[in-house]
Amino acid sequence: MPPMPPLNWGLLPPSFLMPSSTRSLLPLIPLSAAPSHTTVRTIKSVNTPRPDRFAHHPKKPALNSTSRAALARKALTTPLRTGLLAQKRGMTAVFDPETGRRTACTVLQLDRNEVVAHKTRDKNGYWAVQVGAGHKSIDNTTKPMLGHFAVAGVEPKRWVMEFKVKGKEGLGVGVGEHVGASWFSVGQWVDVKGISRGMGFEGGMKRHGFSGQPASHGQSLMHRGMGSAGGSQGSGSRVLPGKRMAGNMGNESVTVKNLKVLQVDEANGIVVVNGCVPGPKNQIIKVQDAMSKPWPAGPMKLADISPAALAESTEAAATPA
Amino acid sequence: MATAIVSAKAGVSQAILLAAKPPATAAKSIKGSKLVDAMHRSLYPHLYQQGGGSAPNRKIRQQMGTMKRYKQVEAEREARKVSWFRNKMRTSSSSKLAAQPQKPRAIRRTCHDPVAAVTSSQLAVHDPTGARTRLFDRANPECARVGDILLVRQRTGEPFAGVCINIRRRGVDTAILLRGQLTRVGIEMWYKVYSPLVEGIEVVQRAQRKARRARLTYMRKEKHDRGSVENVVRVYLRQKAALGSSDGTKKKGAAAAAAMAGGGKRKGNVKGKKGKKR
Repeated sequence: MPPMPPLNWGLLPPSFLMPSSTRSLLPLIPLSAAPSHTTVRTIKSVNTPRPDRFAHHPKKPALNSTSRAALARKALTTPLRTGLLAQKRGMTAVFDPETGRRTACTVLQLDRNEVVAHKTRDKNGYWAVQVGAGHKSIDNTTKPMLGHFAVAGVEPKRWVMEFKVKGKEGLGVGVGEHVGASWFSVGQWVDVKGISRGMGFEGGMKRHGFSGQPASHGQSLMHRGMGSAGGSQGSGSRVLPGKRMAGNMGNESVTVKNLKVLQVDEANGIVVVNGCVPGPKNQIIKVQDAMSKPWPAGPMKLADISPAALAESTEAAATPA
Repeated sequence: MATAIVSAKAGVSQAILLAAKPPATAAKSIKGSKLVDAMHRSLYPHLYQQGGGSAPNRKIRQQMGTMKRYKQVEAEREARKVSWFRNKMRTSSSSKLAAQPQKPRAIRRTCHDPVAAVTSSQLAVHDPTGARTRLFDRANPECARVGDILLVRQRTGEPFAGVCINIRRRGVDTAILLRGQLTRVGIEMWYKVYSPLVEGIEVVQRAQRKARRARLTYMRKEKHDRGSVENVVRVYLRQKAALGSSDGTKKKGAAAAAAMAGGGKRKGNVKGKKGKKR
């Protein structure tokens, strides 16, 4: 609706609406002065406009829904340097010669770990090192991946995974460079991540440790079932979301934290960690510095683990002692 | 070229139409069919490789069946893919290749069985002489077997003796299960053969005859229980002490004692490494 024209109560109606007797008086009536305020009348909101949630103002506290804030939140738990890909090759034990203590351990083997790409904050929004391991024939590799590997200057890799790092200094290993087992040091702590053994469709007893049902006392044809799935009317007559039931077990990503590195063998690509590691033999495993322990003072780039650098570090460690 | 194709087409049609006609009219078509053959030969030389006749070799054509042709095309495609990759690698990352002198080798060629490598490195520390490995090596005719009475000397505490009823061979994790008695109560103890806590393992008495089971768990039943082996061990230790203390005399004496004892062959001087109780 267009704004209504101002009504000026001081003015007389148009002359044609006036009685003829008064028409002669019209010029005698003085015109009122222009109004001192705006006279447009329309509908106005009584609420003050709300500011945009996403328009950040410097005076306000920092937003926590940005990628920058997300990286800052994860800064404490993001390793400083890349991890490596290893294959689980079996379990054995090691003895401590002094205390005689036996430690069950898992033997991991690294196979041709090479850096395939770097992920940067500017380009990808985060910092990460893409590591490839193993070997894949060129025939079985797609053309796009071949181009990716060719740019990195590495042979096609069977496994390609990313390891997030905290910042730019985590990209110490250049693209195309080969990293061996001496990337890890004896005594440091690592987290390992792998796909667990798949058990298939399993019942509640095996999958969740349910107790099952009695073998006798009149029990009929139901010994390993899960029993009740919940109450009836009054409790809602429904199955609550998240109710543990039979289903597919295993074959999921499992992280085991804080495993100690017991042995490192660069020539044979062996890393021995204590305890067990998810998955069957030859399962590919991600090994990275443990996030809940102090970061190791380990090598950040290949030059630190060259034979000369290792000799220097051992000398430096030996002299103060 | 255009005329040649036209005439060839004409020749084909004539050859087909006039194939059964008398030679008077066929004479004209011979010239055209020759051209067709020549063109066919130049287009599909692989069909004319054998025989060299003017007609395409039917046998070869059969050999070059669909599958073979498909495989050939695939092989060519793969070869192109490989060469494309090599070329791309050369052009797009030449500087890095120069910096990297050699490509890493497959680790399985270097170390096919890493668990065995770790085991051997552990054995080198905990069994440098290999005595304990030989004691439980199946290839050794003198090895300890189930049914033998074994004595385990430990770094701390008293030695334990008992009938060996189970040998679990797992490389450096090899363990033995001894069944004996303490205060008239049957006791079973697991000992890790290579543990530093085991000072030595000695064969006190050989089994009367070879056990026909791998695990003598039936000895837990009262009927088969050997009971205490204390007396056997006491006799063994007394004889051993009588035979001398130095290594040389001990070894000689051990053989003599074995002869004297008649049945029981004793193996002395076995240095045990360590055992772990479970």
